[in-house]
Amino acid sequence: MSRTFVEMEGRRLPLSNLEKDLYPSYGFTKARILEYYRGIAPFILPHLKDRALTLKRYPEGVERDFFFEKRCPSHHPAWVKTAEVPQEGGEPMTVCMVNDLETLIWAENLASLELHVPLARTGSSQTPDSMVFDLDPGEPANILDCARVALILRDLLSRMGLVGYAKTSGQKGLHVFVPLNRKETTFEDTKTFSKAVAEIMQKHYPDLVTAKMAKQERKAKIFINWSQNDASKTMICVYSLRAREKPYVSFPLEWEELENLAGLGDPERLQVMHSEAVRRAEEKGDLFQEVLVKEQKLPHL
Amino acid sequence: MAVQGIWSGTISFSLVAIPVRLVTAIRPGHISFHLLHSKDYSPLSRRMFCPKEGAMVPADEIIRGYEIVPDKYILMTDEELESVSPERSRTIEILEFIDMKEVDPIYYDHPYYLVPSKGGEKAYQLLVEVMHRTNKAGLAKFVLAEREYLVAVTSKEGALALTTLHYSDEILPDEDISPKKGKIEAEEESRMQKSIEQMIEDFDPGKYADERRKKLVALLEAKAKEKAPVEAPAVAEEEGEGPADLVAALEESMRKVKENR
Repeated sequence: MSRTFVEMEGRRLPLSNLEKDLYPSYGFTKARILEYYRGIAPFILPHLKDRALTLKRYPEGVERDFFFEKRCPSHHPAWVKTAEVPQEGGEPMTVCMVNDLETLIWAENLASLELHVPLARTGSSQTPDSMVFDLDPGEPANILDCARVALILRDLLSRMGLVGYAKTSGQKGLHVFVPLNRKETTFEDTKTFSKAVAEIMQKHYPDLVTAKMAKQERKAKIFINWSQNDASKTMICVYSLRAREKPYVSFPLEWEELENLAGLGDPERLQVMHSEAVRRAEEKGDLFQEVLVKEQKLPHL
Repeated sequence: MAVQGIWSGTISFSLVAIPVRLVTAIRPGHISFHLLHSKDYSPLSRRMFCPKEGAMVPADEIIRGYEIVPDKYILMTDEELESVSPERSRTIEILEFIDMKEVDPIYYDHPYYLVPSKGGEKAYQLLVEVMHRTNKAGLAKFVLAEREYLVAVTSKEGALALTTLHYSDEILPDEDISPKKGKIEAEEESRMQKSIEQMIEDFDPGKYADERRKKLVALLEAKAKEKAPVEAPAVAEEEGEGPADLVAALEESMRKVKENR
């Protein structure tokens, strides 16, 4: 195993296998993955901060086996911030939080290409700071159909007095985040609300939308997965890479942009790749910034 | 896979404080099964059942009672339980050093290892070395998951091992177990001693394995190759359960959205 050391903030971090190609059919080495995360760090770090990280590790690259690690690996450096989270019927679990660049680089050195985090922070694990609509296309529906549903959803939310923010999942779907940032809102609230929204969408657009998890119901439709609004669930963090054949990123899109792209009819145009992601973020700033701060109350609950 | 740390803090005595992590030293060999409904392979869940009402009891109607005599209970709230739980602590404080040979193995509960955290390697090594040379074990108190444990810290092949110990009042008295003393024939005694001596070996735990577990793993592997696993059905999803107010407001908003599209 080849090793290099980097010094960051006076911390010496060993990096291994930098030349290993983790996206073999595209050609993207671990060194470039680290470079991507270093470039995107100012944008992704606020969204990872104080959240229990689930590492999704691809030690042999995206075409081989991966494994999830919810528990913070016991060999973590002492400066990695950890928290103890209660577990149902067991001892509390130690999780890591990516609160600084060094921890981000450490996690990426473990080939944790995808960074998944819960909708709540570790200190208040029962209080979601966003409600999410995970739009998942059942084949042959695709991301363009997701965009159609997302735009209807935007209008519906807006009529309800709520603002949502969209991002690509980096796979085949879209995510719409509705910032709440109120300590009074519970997962029960977000689940009740998002489920009612999903069902009303299904009722009015039965050929396009389903609110049901069952696989056979999802064929050729967009499944609005409201059940992600749960303390035990995690979402791919905005700006995280995805482990697909190409290094796509879960990237925020402005509504106007989504309207234009939906009109063009090319699903590939909605995807954002690593280099474009850093460039666009640097140009436009963090389009998901409001998700962290905007306070909204769910009406009629 | 790397060992999982379940606690981190410091081990200390007098002026020494060494940052360490606690990792378990045992991977239980037990293979567990899920209980499924034979009809459709749905995983089953446990619920609390009230035999008097013949009905399931929701979580918010369940409280704790300590049975003093049959059917008479003293109630205990979560707050009361919490009030007697020890505060979480980040230290394993060694109170005294003892000779491990004096500890009856009946006191041994669960074995762990202590791993040095960053910056503690040198002091850790020193403690391992000195404890090894003096052949002493550190007796300490330590809080893990809301319980205070008595633990013995020992030096073991260049590392520190930690064993939780039972408290003395957890050990059952053995006075009723040994039978009344009778006369033992000298001849009988020497015969038994001989047969024991004939069977003496060095302890080699690697010779033994849980045969049932081995067979069970082989059986599971063979079955997995032979046939695809059965799949649990998607959980039945209820519909139209939203609060009436919210559903009405959404209907109204949806109508307007459609008008404007």
